Amino acid sequence: MSIMEYNGGSVIAMVGKDCVAIASDLRLGNQALSISSNFQKIFPVTDRIYLGLPGLATDVTTLRERFRYRVNMYTIKEEREIEPETFAHLVSSTLYEHRFGQYFIEPVIAGLSKTPSGGVKPFIAATDIIGCLNFAKDFVVAGTASSKLFGVAEGLWEPDLEPEDLFETISQSLLNAVDRDAFSGWGAIVHVITKDKVTTRTLKGRMD
Amino acid sequence: MFLTRSEYDRGVNTFSPEGRLFQVEYAIEAIKLGSTTVGIRTPEGVVLAVEKRVQSPLLESSSIEKIMEIDSHLGCAMSGLTADARTMIDHARVTAQNHAFTYDEKIKVESATQAVCDLALRFGESVHDEDAMMSRPFGVALLIAGVDELGPQLYHTDPSGTFMRYDAKAIGSGSEAAQSELQDKWHKQMTLAEAQKLTLRVLKQVMEEKLDQHNVQLAQVTPQQGFEILDEVKLKEIIEVM
Amino acid sequence: MASLAHPQQRQFNPYSENGGTILAIAGADFSVIAGDTRQSEGYSIQTRYAPKVFRLTDRAVLAVNGFAADGNMFVKKVKQRLEWYRHAHAKDMPLRAIARLIQTMLYARRFFPYYVYNILGGIEEDGTGAVYSFDPVGSYEREACRAAGAASSLVQPFLDNQIYFKNQRPAPGTSHPVHLPLPTVLSIVIDSFTSATERHIEVGDGLEIYVVLAKGRNLQGLEGIRGMQELTVTEDGERVFVVRRELKKD
Repeated sequence: MSIMEYNGGSVIAMVGKDCVAIASDLRLGNQALSISSNFQKIFPVTDRIYLGLPGLATDVTTLRERFRYRVNMYTIKEEREIEPETFAHLVSSTLYEHRFGQYFIEPVIAGLSKTPSGGVKPFIAATDIIGCLNFAKDFVVAGTASSKLFGVAEGLWEPDLEPEDLFETISQSLLNAVDRDAFSGWGAIVHVITKDKVTTRTLKGRMD
Repeated sequence: MFLTRSEYDRGVNTFSPEGRLFQVEYAIEAIKLGSTTVGIRTPEGVVLAVEKRVQSPLLESSSIEKIMEIDSHLGCAMSGLTADARTMIDHARVTAQNHAFTYDEKIKVESATQAVCDLALRFGESVHDEDAMMSRPFGVALLIAGVDELGPQLYHTDPSGTFMRYDAKAIGSGSEAAQSELQDKWHKQMTLAEAQKLTLRVLKQVMEEKLDQHNVQLAQVTPQQGFEILDEVKLKEIIEVM
Repeated sequence: MASLAHPQQRQFNPYSENGGTILAIAGADFSVIAGDTRQSEGYSIQTRYAPKVFRLTDRAVLAVNGFAADGNMFVKKVKQRLEWYRHAHAKDMPLRAIARLIQTMLYARRFFPYYVYNILGGIEEDGTGAVYSFDPVGSYEREACRAAGAASSLVQPFLDNQIYFKNQRPAPGTSHPVHLPLPTVLSIVIDSFTSATERHIEVGDGLEIYVVLAKGRNLQGLEGIRGMQELTVTEDGERVFVVRRELKKD
């Protein structure tokens, strides 16, 4: 048995036109037994950065607290909000510190970074369990339904989607992928991050 | 023919110098001693009818079974050594079930008939040191009736393993008279009810006893109902309007 | 001679896994069966053109994926059984009969299975398009669509969404179509394989799409398709076409 399948769960993030989206399922399981249909795996880091933590549930909680601590320390010391790129490296180095005794988490980062001209640039990234960064231009996936997510997202995603279209694309990708995964599902949550707001929607999904 | 007995009478798999297999020919003769059996094909279905010779008033006529089901779409009537027919029908039933198991479809009437005929010449001496499974040819002829994708069909098989398709066929002791009557009366657009009546009329002509619901058996195969043996109540109704 | 004191074990593994993906979708009066042509073992590509989809009759096409040696032998044996059937029963075997035959052939090897996933596509006796999918030991089902092989986990949920409209609600007063038109199906097939090629290393090189059209159906949706070729010679029966396309080779 894979340790990733102990609690199950999946996360996906996508780039749109001046927006990003990140979504996850809501299941918490104990192997084949479903425990909760309201388990949060995506956490806000700043107003414009969200972090998805699919993997072993105990590490979800631990890493969430660790990143809260480290981001707070950064904000206080630097007296500014952390940028998504910087945060991605923070995630990477935090995970690599545990190279030989890993957290069983595959983090997914989605956010908007500031451009010198005052605009925003969509940013997504993901890492493996020891922090190897992947800065994708289209979408990133992680968790027990990752292979399914790759397939659907590769088929549905296209460049420069407007926020509403991006929401539809990421939702369909997630829902259809987790429906074919025994360890993910039981509802979903989607965050669409735009320049001036974050839209969060909870989706109903198959409960089997 | 019986006057020309020779050495070649005995071996079941030895040709005579004239190129005949006497035992097979005799087996065909045995059919002519059997009770009369009639089959008629119509566009609506096939009808089979047999005479049941009730030799004793103490005999339960319902225990005489000369029409049997092979599959839900296949029926069979026999004349001759009816005990031999059990082996053949058993084989046909197994073949039909195997076909349905392997192909998820009903076996064709011709294929089932072919399967029965494949058995017919399996008599004779053993190969190598295996025991021979049959010592003589079958002494029975069959009328195999059925419905498949090609419509209602009637086949006749004899102990030589030959089979032929007929519109109407009579076998058994009264077959000669019955066959010529069928030739007279059969027509292309015959209904199933007409066929039922014709089979019984033909049997009536060749039977010694007075025909009633106890001494004949009637069965039919239709696209709708498949194979069914008509019960005595239904049989009585048909006899009354005959 | 100390080594002789220890018990030794040797083993021969009769199976290997040769990658690739197959897929089939049934329409109302047609069926599409497709497969890529890459054959690999581990990280090595053995050949860029090894067909996995085979025409069995004028109305049946079989796609076989898994262990290539078993797959090729299995197709050979199915073809042999189809010929015997033609001789015994004087007709081509109907699609559902082929489906059942494949089950019995696979289950006959329950304890030394053909290491293959089969997808059978074609036209039923009633003229409808059909897809049958099998597991290696013969469990089977008739479906509207199915993906199998290395990238099945990538393609199947995409098909659920695009063919079965899973997780989609029709606009008020409308309903989802039960069968899709041929041009739509062909686009979905091509998209599925380009996606699978993009994200799976064992998929790519070439794509073969077989299209079986029901008796009397017009060519609507096939005319003008690049790389199309007809495989049937008879005029009045079902017709089989193949479309050959390139896929990325990296």
